[in-house]
Amino acid sequence: QLVSALHNLTRHIVYRGLTRAEDILSLFPENFHQNLKNLLTKIILENISAWRNEAQASQISLPRLLDMDWRVDIKTSSDSISRMAVPTCLLQLKIQEDVALCGDSPVVSALTLELSKETLDTLLEGLGRIRDQLSAVANK
Amino acid sequence: SQQFSALTEVLFRFLTEPKEVERFLTQLSDFATMNKISLGPLKNIVKSILLVPNGALKRNLSPEQVRADFIALGLSEEKASYFAEQWKVNAPTLTRLAVGQTLMINQLVDMEWKFGVTAGSSELEKVGSIFLQLKLVIKKGSQMENVYVELTLPQFYSFLHEMERVKTSLESFS
Repeated sequence: QLVSALHNLTRHIVYRGLTRAEDILSLFPENFHQNLKNLLTKIILENISAWRNEAQASQISLPRLLDMDWRVDIKTSSDSISRMAVPTCLLQLKIQEDVALCGDSPVVSALTLELSKETLDTLLEGLGRIRDQLSAVANK
Repeated sequence: SQQFSALTEVLFRFLTEPKEVERFLTQLSDFATMNKISLGPLKNIVKSILLVPNGALKRNLSPEQVRADFIALGLSEEKASYFAEQWKVNAPTLTRLAVGQTLMINQLVDMEWKFGVTAGSSELEKVGSIFLQLKLVIKKGSQMENVYVELTLPQFYSFLHEMERVKTSLESFS
């Protein structure tokens, strides 16, 4: 019962985003033990940002990008043409499935894509537009 | 020889646009009627002729080599030279087509994005964090697959930076 009550208290504090001691102290009932109240508040305040970050990290979301690697290859021949020198890019994205669904055993998949120079140029154009939109929003 | 150049034209038009099979067959049968040749033997001849440019592409032959091949096959010098000339003119297009057909693994075909702000969640009443969502359309074999992925802002900037490095690398190799 005690654990459950503590759990509810901390959840409420994290949910509301309370960061000041006064706000937390005001949650306790009138006749609550003074020293205990202060001790609990102190401990909670120390942990509050860690808890918020963890809550944010375990939000439901689309699969998240964990890591990204690339390499550039040169294609020198194929079944349709025996000599060529075409550079191509291989991009590997490590993606973690919805954290909220996986709990403690995260499912990570690696997706390898191939991009031609033309595709890369178009991709960069798109990413550039995203960057411009982001700066426009940030400057508002 | 006018017949030959007309036929060559039909052949090269097909080679540079291999999807236009209907048009090629129509043009062939028109050619047959105009010159009073029967379509069956004409098709056989055309099949053998087409083997030469395809082999030439595979082995990266020069126009002189193509001409020599044709002469070895029994074509007159004049016709062989004409064909080799046409080959030289069309080679860049044909090469580009052949390269385009080369195997690509999980080719990125399209990308869409949206970004927004997470306003709140069941754990946190007010959040206010920006996220970017990408939808990547990948060609796996003959099917398209959609991959959805979410990035934080720092991840996005890092991704953009890496892609610019890839571009520099690709450019230094072409």
